[in-house]
Amino acid sequence: MAKQVLSFTVNDEPAEVLVQPWDTLLEALRERMGLTGPKEGCGTGDCGACTVHFDGKPIASCLLLAMQARGHTVRTIEGLGKPGALHPLQDAFIRHGVPQCGFCIPGVLMAAAALLTENPRPSEEEIRYGIAGNLCRCTGYTKMLAAITEAAGATAGRRS
Amino acid sequence: MASVMKTTRDVKGIGLSILRPDGPDKVTGQVQYVADLNPRGLLHAKLLRSPYAHAKIVRIDVSRARALPGVRAVLTAADIPVLKKKAPTRAHAVLAIDRVVFAGQPVAAVAADELAIAEEALDLIDVQYDVLPVAADPLESMKPGAPPVAELGTEADTSEALAHGSVAGVTTEAKSSKAVNISQQARLQRGDVAKGFAESDVVIENTYRVPMVHQGYLEPHAVLAQWDTAGNLTLWASTQGSFNTRSEVADVLELPENRIKVIPMECGGGFGGKIRALCEPITAVLARATGRPVRYVMTRREELEAGMPAPQVIIKMKTGVKRDGTLMALEAEAILESGAFSGAVLAVAGVFLASLYRWPSFDVQGFEVLTHKPSIAAYRAPVAPQTIFAIDSQMEQIAKAIGVDPVEFRLRHLQREGDKMANNQPWLSNGAVEVLTRLAEHPLWKKRAEWKASSKDGKLRGTGLSLGGWLGGLQPTGATVRLNPDGTLQVLTGQVDIAGTNIALAQIAATAYGVDIDKVKITTGDTDVAPMTGLSAGSKTTYTVGVAVMQAAENARNQTLEIAAKELEASVHDLEIDNDKVVVRGVPDKGITLASIGKKGNLYMSKVEPVLGTSHPAFSVQAPAFCGQLARVEVDPDTGEVTLHNFVVAQDVGKAINPLQIEGQMQGGAVQSLGMALTEALIYDDQARLTNPSLLDYRKLTSADLPSIETIIVEKPAPHGPFGARGVGEPPIVPAPAAIANAIEDATGVRLTHLPLSPERIALAIAAAS
Repeated sequence: MAKQVLSFTVNDEPAEVLVQPWDTLLEALRERMGLTGPKEGCGTGDCGACTVHFDGKPIASCLLLAMQARGHTVRTIEGLGKPGALHPLQDAFIRHGVPQCGFCIPGVLMAAAALLTENPRPSEEEIRYGIAGNLCRCTGYTKMLAAITEAAGATAGRRS
Repeated sequence: MASVMKTTRDVKGIGLSILRPDGPDKVTGQVQYVADLNPRGLLHAKLLRSPYAHAKIVRIDVSRARALPGVRAVLTAADIPVLKKKAPTRAHAVLAIDRVVFAGQPVAAVAADELAIAEEALDLIDVQYDVLPVAADPLESMKPGAPPVAELGTEADTSEALAHGSVAGVTTEAKSSKAVNISQQARLQRGDVAKGFAESDVVIENTYRVPMVHQGYLEPHAVLAQWDTAGNLTLWASTQGSFNTRSEVADVLELPENRIKVIPMECGGGFGGKIRALCEPITAVLARATGRPVRYVMTRREELEAGMPAPQVIIKMKTGVKRDGTLMALEAEAILESGAFSGAVLAVAGVFLASLYRWPSFDVQGFEVLTHKPSIAAYRAPVAPQTIFAIDSQMEQIAKAIGVDPVEFRLRHLQREGDKMANNQPWLSNGAVEVLTRLAEHPLWKKRAEWKASSKDGKLRGTGLSLGGWLGGLQPTGATVRLNPDGTLQVLTGQVDIAGTNIALAQIAATAYGVDIDKVKITTGDTDVAPMTGLSAGSKTTYTVGVAVMQAAENARNQTLEIAAKELEASVHDLEIDNDKVVVRGVPDKGITLASIGKKGNLYMSKVEPVLGTSHPAFSVQAPAFCGQLARVEVDPDTGEVTLHNFVVAQDVGKAINPLQIEGQMQGGAVQSLGMALTEALIYDDQARLTNPSLLDYRKLTSADLPSIETIIVEKPAPHGPFGARGVGEPPIVPAPAAIANAIEDATGVRLTHLPLSPERIALAIAAAS
């Protein structure tokens, strides 16, 4: 089958990329565009490591066909913040020493960032459920919770 | 190495919560794991795996797969002459030869231009199997006449036990001739057990079962292999030990070790599951066959069906005590189900069961049993959580039965330094008593009666604790510390950083040399350039590599001072390092900068030797490390649901080199322990096929299942550890199963002995008791 052109917006830039009709969005990002920040931990939408923003909402990019993203807007961890201009969540994750092996971190950060956009002052319970779709095997989530809680304060503070 | 280096000033080094240098790369998605590598000409590999747990391979036809456009190689065992029928390890069983021994065993391998093409090629391979009877249950499999798993004459593999270096003095015997699937046996005995039980007032007997569980690392196994035209192999690996990976691949493929370079990439979690070689040999063979770089990444389903999980452990335990609490006798039989290849740490299980408390008489037997399931490997403190679940549950029940305080009862009988373990080795200095005491002082423990009494809305509240530990691994290692021309330090080891150990090692170098941490850079080198070192396993990286780094830094410091002494015409004994310079004590303006010394070591025609501190120690003294955990739970007796309200981890770390990283280890280890306690199990049907091969059905704990984990760091210095440090990684996975079972009993009065402590089990047990 012939490859198709996927035109969409990735990390604020227009992008065109050739994909197979069976490629998932995750494969298109990782294998065709070199955006390897989103990870494949399961390929079945259970672990959250591939979480990206799709029109601002967090989705498992392993469950979406790449061509379904045509005309849509996607943000990956590479577009969340940059060294020197980190998202408050990224900054808090570093300072709280959250990342251990680091494999789940891009997905957790994208889920948490989406949560804070929708709900800038989440309760602990809301944070716990906000990242419940993201499995982490190293941290026990405790430092994650502390970092997200702090960043939520920082984000809200910055806006007010 | 016992001596604590005297630093000349209070440097920014050990004891501080310094952030890991890889944090920024990890939060921006820049860190590279194997699956992120995409070299030019990359091929993708897939393995065809057996759907049957035990079958004869009658015929394999790969012709249609080979004809598919985009397919570059299709291999079966017939294409790999080095493969032998009697595969001594899982790694040697690269592809099945004429018989498959577990569902998910690879029988053919494909490399293709695209992953989808490789997947399609698998569908075109035609394998004809003759299905054979299956040994699915270890208790059946250990009987004479059970369907045999290993090829006749295959030796037991005890290298995992050696790798963890944990116990001496236990001989495991060869398998018995009648029971074909018993691959190892061990027995530890002391005193007269029959007499002990005869004189006991309270005898308690239970069978504890812990199912196979998966290590659960988020990054599935992955490797990238490439050969150069001269016949050198490079492997980019996700491994806990690049030198071990090199040795295993060299052994399997019959290559000289110096022809293989293993580059350890960021390891997305290992926990024991990425020690042994698994997919590296076949990927290397595919790369050789195609002359192209080949990348193989396991799917999660493959990980669960055909990874290297922890063994199922079944422990029959009988204890006898006097009414006054005097311990009399312990009898135990531990069955470790190893799957299709030998490799369980049987001796460790035996030692743990009989060594924690002072049993005057004991008889502990251990059997490693093979079944037609994927072979097992280490999982963070291998077999310690399973054995401590049994012995600690038993201690709690005894205390209850004779009506004494469970903490006082444990403390009364806990073995102390110098007491003989079951293998007759003396217990070394450890903080078991201190950890348990600290935990018992916690308000949650002191207020357990109030918590229980506060039960409401039909829910039942309880509190439980448990104590467990790890003996500490040992392995020779090495490190170098160089002084750069600008006065900064460069630390090199071959140690894979799977737990934040590199920052701790850098802190050790800083303190031992006498400069601030920001002057130190540490690198994990590949197997071509780094000093040889052991596994990142057995909680021994900081304990052993820390000593190598400390000694190498001291060595570099001494070289630096000697050069400075000549330059300054002063005695070495009068010199001290004041962060960026060497000064003469009491004469602050007489000094030479480290940069100047570093520069002289790299100047054309210079007669000053470059500073190169080295150390390559071997070790003989372990440092046991204990962890206690305390759980406050609420149980719904109708549904069996357990809500964890609080969880406290107290742990002896010897000396906290980096408290922040240690907290992270304690919290993460505790949650793995809680997963084993509450939700995790690989569930097989009667044909030994996995029934829950996804992360939806293999249930790991999420952030929504848990409270924040409280940590209490206890510091009882290890006499031989770097600055007193002991191993940290493994102890926190040990205690939760017993702590939760004890808490559930406190809440409901029901004693559960089979993990996981699922709602179904709890509700049924409560219903049966009432």
